[in-house]
Amino acid sequence: MANYGMALDYKNCINCKACEVACKEENGVQLGADKHRIWVGVKEIEGLWPNLSIASSTFEPSQCQQCENAPCQEVCPTKATHYTKDGVVMVDADKCILCSYCMEACPYDARYVKEDTMTVDKCTFCSDTRLLRGETTTACQATCPTKVRTFGDLDDPNSEISILLAHREHRTLKTHLGTKPKLFYLI
Amino acid sequence: MKVEISRRRFLQGSVALSIIGGTSIGATSLLSDENEHGEMRIMTRTTNTKAQKVPFLCGMCVNKCAGVARVEKGVVVKLDPNPYFPKSRNMLCPRGNAGIQTLYDPDRLKYPLVRVGNRGDGKYKRVSWDEAYDAILNGTDKFKGLLQILDEEKDNRSTIGYCNGEGLSKEGFEELMGLKIGTPNYVDEISICLETVLGGYSATIGAYGEADMNNADYVIIAGANRAEAIITPDTMDMFKRSKGRGLKTIVLDPRFTNTAAKADRWYAINPGTDLAFVLALTYVVFSENLYDKEFAKKYLIGYEDYKNHVIKNSYTPQWAEKITNIPADEIYKTAREFMSSEHPIYYQGRRSVFAKNDFQLRRAQAIFQGLSGNLDKKGGIIYGKKLALPKEDVNSPMYAQAQDRFDKEGIAIFAGKTGSWIVFRNMVLEGKNPYPVRAMFMRKHNPMAGVPNTKKTEEFLKKMDLNVMIDILPSDTTMFCDVILPEASYLERTSPVASYGFLEPAIVQRRAAIKPMFESKTPEVIYKELAEKLTEPLWKNSLKYDEDVQDDTKGMKVDELAKYYKENGFDLTEPWEKSVEELNKERVVKAFGEEAWNTLEEKGVYYPNMDKYHKQLNPNEYQYYPEDKKNYTTKGDKLKVVVNFKNLAKKGVDPMPTWHDEWAFKVPDGQFRLVTGRHAQFTQSGTTNNMALRDLIPTNYIWINKREAKKRGIEFGDMLEVKSSVGKVHIKAYPTEKIAPNMIFMLHGFGGSSKEMEMAYGKGGNDASIIEDKIEPVYGAAVMHETNVEIRKV
Amino acid sequence: MFVLAEKGMKIIERFIPMRHTDIRELLNFKKTPLNLLVAFTTLVFLVLFVVGATNYLIHGHHAYGVTREHPWGLMIAMYIFFVVSSTGLCIMSAIGHVFEVEVLEPFAKRAIHGALVTLLSGFIVIFLEIGHPLKMMIYNTISPGLTSAIWGMGVLYSLYLIFIVIEFFFLLRHDHKWAKRFGIFGLVVGVAAHSNLGAVFGFLVARPVANGIYYPLYFILSAMVTGCYLIFLMYGFKYKLNFPPEMQKTLVATAKILGLLLAILLFFEIWRMLTAIYGGMEDRAETALHILKSSPFLVGEILLGIVIPFLVILLSNGKAIKTMVFASLGGMVGIFFMRYDLVHDTQLYPMQTLKLREYQLPPTFIEYFPSTTEIFIALGAIGIAITLYYIGDKILYLETDPD
Ligand code: SF4
Ligand code: SF4
Ligand code: SF4
Repeated sequence: MANYGMALDYKNCINCKACEVACKEENGVQLGADKHRIWVGVKEIEGLWPNLSIASSTFEPSQCQQCENAPCQEVCPTKATHYTKDGVVMVDADKCILCSYCMEACPYDARYVKEDTMTVDKCTFCSDTRLLRGETTTACQATCPTKVRTFGDLDDPNSEISILLAHREHRTLKTHLGTKPKLFYLI
Repeated sequence: MKVEISRRRFLQGSVALSIIGGTSIGATSLLSDENEHGEMRIMTRTTNTKAQKVPFLCGMCVNKCAGVARVEKGVVVKLDPNPYFPKSRNMLCPRGNAGIQTLYDPDRLKYPLVRVGNRGDGKYKRVSWDEAYDAILNGTDKFKGLLQILDEEKDNRSTIGYCNGEGLSKEGFEELMGLKIGTPNYVDEISICLETVLGGYSATIGAYGEADMNNADYVIIAGANRAEAIITPDTMDMFKRSKGRGLKTIVLDPRFTNTAAKADRWYAINPGTDLAFVLALTYVVFSENLYDKEFAKKYLIGYEDYKNHVIKNSYTPQWAEKITNIPADEIYKTAREFMSSEHPIYYQGRRSVFAKNDFQLRRAQAIFQGLSGNLDKKGGIIYGKKLALPKEDVNSPMYAQAQDRFDKEGIAIFAGKTGSWIVFRNMVLEGKNPYPVRAMFMRKHNPMAGVPNTKKTEEFLKKMDLNVMIDILPSDTTMFCDVILPEASYLERTSPVASYGFLEPAIVQRRAAIKPMFESKTPEVIYKELAEKLTEPLWKNSLKYDEDVQDDTKGMKVDELAKYYKENGFDLTEPWEKSVEELNKERVVKAFGEEAWNTLEEKGVYYPNMDKYHKQLNPNEYQYYPEDKKNYTTKGDKLKVVVNFKNLAKKGVDPMPTWHDEWAFKVPDGQFRLVTGRHAQFTQSGTTNNMALRDLIPTNYIWINKREAKKRGIEFGDMLEVKSSVGKVHIKAYPTEKIAPNMIFMLHGFGGSSKEMEMAYGKGGNDASIIEDKIEPVYGAAVMHETNVEIRKV
Repeated sequence: MFVLAEKGMKIIERFIPMRHTDIRELLNFKKTPLNLLVAFTTLVFLVLFVVGATNYLIHGHHAYGVTREHPWGLMIAMYIFFVVSSTGLCIMSAIGHVFEVEVLEPFAKRAIHGALVTLLSGFIVIFLEIGHPLKMMIYNTISPGLTSAIWGMGVLYSLYLIFIVIEFFFLLRHDHKWAKRFGIFGLVVGVAAHSNLGAVFGFLVARPVANGIYYPLYFILSAMVTGCYLIFLMYGFKYKLNFPPEMQKTLVATAKILGLLLAILLFFEIWRMLTAIYGGMEDRAETALHILKSSPFLVGEILLGIVIPFLVILLSNGKAIKTMVFASLGGMVGIFFMRYDLVHDTQLYPMQTLKLREYQLPPTFIEYFPSTTEIFIALGAIGIAITLYYIGDKILYLETDPD
C-alpha cells in the first residue's frame, strides 16, 4: 500500500526524449507519433530573432498525472480504469470496451488507443513491469540524463519524493480542475 | 537486395514471438498490425520472467555510456543505464534506449554479399564468408581482387586506401590495414569532425581536458550544443545547475538551440565569427587587467606578447560588435563576469569544424581560459588521470614498395595518421596522386553522408577497382561496394576493454548481450579471417616485388623463410591469435588482478576501490569517488599554456590568434548561409533507420526565418529546393524565429539514398550533398558552415 | 426466408392487429417519382451501410477519422442524433396519449413507432462505434461503473427500449390503460436517459465548452424540437401534403408548440454563447468565438435548425403546415449539425497545447473530418431508419384507429 507520485525537477530537462523511448521499450508501447504515454512539451518560442524569450521555451516533461481525483476513472462505464492499491490509475484491458469516454475526460491528453488490443492505454508508473519485479524506479526516471524525475511513495514521509516536496516549492498542472494531480513540478 | 526478405518475415523468422508486435488480432482490428505506410510497429516489452542482465557499452554514438541489457529468452527487451560508470552517470539517452531497434532492424546486413550488378544499382548475391573473402582476394568477373591490384602495382601497399568509423573495434581495423597490410592511406571521422578542437587545445594547454561542470559557476558555450549533441558527462552535469541554480550559462549560437533554451543569455552570433568574440573578451581582460596575474606569470608562455598583440590590434568589443552581431556592452559584461567568477569555464566545445579559423578560435579560447587561472583545478578545465592497461605491440612489417601518403595540399600541419578526407579524395579525383589509389576498405563509415560534396565521393568510389565494406546496415556508401561483410552490432559483441580517464577514471567492458544474429560476425573475427585469407598470397606478392624482402631472404630454406615471415610481421593474423574475451581477461588481470576482472565481468565497470567508493546518494545519483580522491589537480607545476606558439609561424600559421578580415560573415543578397547540426534523437546517418528514433524525428526540415518565409510565401511543410555550387536537395520547410533571416539550418545525416534502408530512404535532404568541400588551412579538416545557398519553392 | 418471416408474422398477428400484408407486397408501393426517389436513395444508403460496416469490422477504428486528440467522431454524433430523435418522438407522443391533449393524440402511435425505429438505428450506430460491444454487455453488468454517465445512459436506454416496446404493443392493441402506464414509464426513463446523455458531456470538466447544468436541459428541449420536425416529415410524406382536416388541426397545434420551443432554444443558444465568451475563461471564450464563426453552427444549427422554421411559424401563425414540412426537412439537417457540433466542438480546444515534436506546428483547434467509412455508416443508418419505418408503416395500423 503506497501512494505513488512523481516530482519533476523540470528545469533540468533538455528535451532529449530518452524518457519517451525508455517508456516505449519497457512497456511495449507501440511506435507511432501519437502513441506515447509520456512526452515533453514546449511552447512555440515568443519574440522575433534575435530577441527571443528564453523563458517562453521551457521544456515541460509530462505524462498521466495519476490524478487522485481522476476524471478518467469517474467516467469509465466498466471500471476498466481503476485505482490500484498503490494509488496508480490503470486500465484493465480486459474490461475496456473502447468507448473512449476516458480520453474525452482526461484534461491532460494522457490516453491513447493501443492498437494490438484496441483498448485505451496510458502511463502505469511501470506498475506492471518494473515495479512488479521489485524495482523502485520507473523507466523514465532511471534513464533520464539530467535526473529530472523522482518517483516514490507520497505517504512515506521518509521517501525521497516526500522530502523533496517538503523542502521545495512545486506546482501541478491544471490545478483548478480539481483533479489533484500527483505529478509535481519543482520550482 | 536480391536476397532480402521482407520486414514481416524477418520478424517472424527471428524474434517475433518475444517481441510484442501489432501481430495479435483484436476482434475489431483484424489488420491493425501495419500502419498506413505499411510499416510494422514493433516494440519490446519487459516481463516478469527470469532475465539475464548483461553489462554493455552503448554504441549508438561516440560516448560509450554504460548500460545493462535485459535479455529474456534470448531477446534483448530493454536497455537500462548502468549506475557504475562515472562517465555516463546512470543514464542512457534516447538513442541508447533505442539501440534495440538497431539490433533488430529488419534492414540489417545479414549475409556476406558480392556485387553482381553495376555499382550503385543494388544487385548483390548472397555468398558464404569464404566466398566473400575470396572475392576480396581474387575478384570476380565484375571487379578486380586485391591480389591482382597489388600484383599490377608491384606490391605498393599504398594503393589501398581505408577508412573507419569511431568505436571500440576501430583500432583492430587500423592494425590490419595500416600496420599489417601496410598502407598509410587512412582517413576517418576526425577530419570531418573535431580535429581543430583537439589540435588547438593540445597545442595550447596540452590536452582537450575535461570541463568540471559540477563545480563550475560560469560557463560560456559557443557553438557547441550540449543539450542536443550529447556528450557525457558534460550534458548531464551542465543542465542540473543552469537557470539560476549555480551555473550561469552564456550560449552563443547563430540559431536558438535547446542549449540556448537553458541559457541565462543567448547571443545570436554570426557564423564563423566566434574568434572575434573571444579576442574582444581577451581585449577587455587585458585592458582592464582582469586576468590572474600570478597564474599567467607562472604558466602562460608568451602572454605579454599576446597582450601587446591584442591591444595593438584594438580587438575592442566595439570592433567585435560589427563582426559578431553581439552588442559591445554585452561583451564587456561577459568578460567582466567571467573573470570575477570563481570557477569560470569557456567550454572547449567539442563539435565539428564550422569555419576556417577554427584552429585559432580554439587557441584563443584555451588562452582565455588560462587567463582566468581556472585550469587544472576544481571547477575548471581539468586533466585528470587514466588507468593504464597493458597493450602488446603489433609486429608490423616493412614494405619497401609502399609509398608515403600524399594528401597534403593546402595543409599547414600534416596530422599524420588520420589525414584529410577531402584532400585525399579530391587529389585522387583530380589525378594529383603520385601513385594510383585503387581500392577502398571501409568499415562503419559512410562518407557519402559525412564528407562534404557527395557527388565527388560517389565519383571517387566509382573510380576504385575494389570497394569493401564492413558494416551493420546497407548505408549509402555500402551501395557502392563490391564485397559487403555483415558485422555484428554492438549488442552482439564483446569489445576490447577500454579505459576512461579524467576526474573519475574507470575501466569498462562491453559484453555481448546475445550471439551475433544471422551470419554476421564480430569485427575482430572478421579481421582475423580476412587476415588468414590474405596473408599467404600477399606474402608471396611481397616476395615477388619487394627488393628488401628479396635481399633479406635470398637463399633461405623453407623453414628459415617461414621464420622470417613470422618474425618480421608478415604473418597478418598474429594480432588475432587470441579472442577478444581472452585478451580482455589477460590485460585486466595483469594490471589489476583476478578480483578486478570478476568485477568487470559482472558490473561492466572497474576501478580501484570501487567497492568502497561507489555509493548511491539518492534514487538518482551516485558517488563514484569520494571528493578527496577525484583527480582535480594532476599537472601541478608541469602545467603550461602556450600563448605565443612561435613554431607555428614557420609553417605559415599565426603564432597567436589573429583576426583576418576575409573571415567576416558575408551572405550575398537573396542567398542564405547554410548551417547544420544535431538533435538529441539521432546520431548522424547511422541511426536514421532506427524505428523508435524515426518516430521522434521522421525526417529533417529546413529552418528558415518566419518573416523571410512569409515574404516568399513559404509555409510549414512546403517542399523547397536548396541549391549550392556543388549540388541541390529537396527538403521541407520549417519556418521559425529561431534562426536569422539570412541563414538556414538543416539536420545532418538525413536524406539517405540507399533504398535498402527502408525507414531512411528518401527522407529529407543530405547536407553533405550541398556543403562545399572547403577545408581549414591548418589540418585540412572539412569546414561545415561556409556554404551559401539559394532556395526555391518546388 | 420469406416463408419463415410470414410464419413469424402470423404469430405476431395473434397479439397485435396487423394489416394482412403479404411479404411480397411489402415491396409494392405507388411508383410515383417521389416514392421512387426515396426508395432508390434508401437502397443506396443500405448498400453504403454494408460497405461501411464491413470496412469497420475489418479495420476497426483505423477506418474512422478519429484520433488521440479527437476520439469521438461522426458515429457518436449520429448516435446522439438518433436517440435524441427517439426521445423527442416519445415525449411528443406522450403529450397526446399520456397527458391526453386530444389535439395531439392522432400521432401518438406513429410517433412511438418513430421513436422505436430511431432508437434501434441509434443502437446499431453505437455498436459500430464502441470498440468491443460484446465486452460492453458483459462488463456493464458485472462491473458497473456507477459514476459513469455512459454507464447510466446505457442502462437507462436499455430500459427505455423495453418500455417503449411494451407501450407500443399496448397502443397497437388499443389497450389505452396499459399503454398509458408504460407510456409514463417510457417517458420518465426516456427523459432520464436523455438528460443522462447530456450529462455525458456535462461531466467533461476538462473540456472548456462542456457545460454542466446547461446540457441536460438543452437536450430535452432540442429533443422535443426534433420530435416535432419528425412528425411534420412523417405526415408530410404520408399525405403528400394533402392533409385531411383532422390532421391539419393537429399539425397546426404541433407547429405552435414547436414555435414556442424554438424561441426558448434560440434564447438558450444566445446565452450559451454569451456566457462562454464573456465568462472570463480564456480557453472557453476562444473556443466559443471559433464556433461562432463556423458555418456548421451558423448555417446548420442556427439558420436551418432554428431560425427558418421559427420564422415560418411566426409569420404564418403556425398555419403554414405545408411549408413547415420543408422547413422540417431543413430543420433535421440543422439538428444533425447540432449533434455533430456538440461532439466536435466539445473536443475543439486541445488538451495538449504544447509542441511535442520540433517539426510540427503548435497545436491549435483540433480538426476532424469523418472518414468515408464513417460517412457510409451514418448515411446507412438513415437508410435503416427509413426502411424500418416503411415496414412498420406497411404492416401496422399507425393511426389512432385501424381504417
Ligand atoms: S529523459 Fe529527462 S531530460 Fe530527457 S526529455 Fe525526458 S525528462 Fe527531459
Ligand atoms: S491524467 Fe488523465 S489519464 Fe491520468 S489519471 Fe488524470 S485523468 Fe486519468
Ligand atoms: S550518449 Fe546516448 S547514444 Fe551515446 S553512448 Fe550514451 S546512451 Fe549511447
